Amino acid sequence: MLFLRIGLGLLFIYASLDKVWNPGLFAKAVSNYRILPVPLLHITAIILPWVELLSGLALVINRYPRAANILIGSMTLTFTLAIISAMMRGLDFNCGCFSVTSEEVNLGVQKIFENLGILAGTIILEYRLSKR
Amino acid sequence: MQSIPVLFKEIIGTVLVSAIIGISAQAVLPNGIHLKTDLTMIDSESGETAVPSIILDPNGNGAETGSVTLYQAYITFLEGRALFLDARDQEDYHQGHILGAISLPAHAFMDSLPMLDALSPDQIIITYCDGVDCNASIDLAADLQTMGFTRIFFFFGGWQEWQAAAYPIAKTP
Repeated sequence: MLFLRIGLGLLFIYASLDKVWNPGLFAKAVSNYRILPVPLLHITAIILPWVELLSGLALVINRYPRAANILIGSMTLTFTLAIISAMMRGLDFNCGCFSVTSEEVNLGVQKIFENLGILAGTIILEYRLSKR
Repeated sequence: MQSIPVLFKEIIGTVLVSAIIGISAQAVLPNGIHLKTDLTMIDSESGETAVPSIILDPNGNGAETGSVTLYQAYITFLEGRALFLDARDQEDYHQGHILGAISLPAHAFMDSLPMLDALSPDQIIITYCDGVDCNASIDLAADLQTMGFTRIFFFFGGWQEWQAAAYPIAKTP
């Protein structure tokens, strides 16, 4: 469980850094999904990466780990549904999941399976943390 | 075992602290953005369309590319000065495109570098996609600008406006 907790934490810290540093590029990535209303683009792009970063840090240092894990699971589920929704609407672009500045894998089944793997990790971790 | 209200408070607390830090950080980050989504008005045949400014200039450095209207695109087409690049999927391109346009799907930009290397940096390029509902033309224009091309424009009305105006088109047999 230690490896799972720290692994998930480090993954989300890594995923957040590029977005924290480039909120404009992340806002553009979010706009590509065409789900959020335009007035919410900037505020989402400003807050979401910091929720990822703080949740990741919390998991690594084992401070409020359950809250952090639930947030990470909720975000992963939301991202997965957004990717599925975009694919069903025929949209094709880089997902902006881990990096907003470099070329990344376009939306696809591979991305969904990656996210489902992360989601499974958060569910296992929640089960273990809730038993403590 | 942790109680649900305590857990809920921790979750809300984490989000609130993230929001406070995130909003404050925009003042010091070199690429910080406003809390309110800035909009840029772009001309098209159906009137002005408001587009989030970050789509045109995500780094906030003012290096946005310019837009051309249907009329401007057509005049440039008649003069034969511009290279039209179709940013849509190849399938859409084959079904119909602006006469003389070259297919360069925005998401496959990196695959087209050899073709772009052969062009002069001051070549006038006009990108387009389906219409005002797509951003591929803007994305492609931004990518081209990053490569060093200096005269890049996007035709925001795109294929839909061009086709509606019955201007010259071609189909791949």
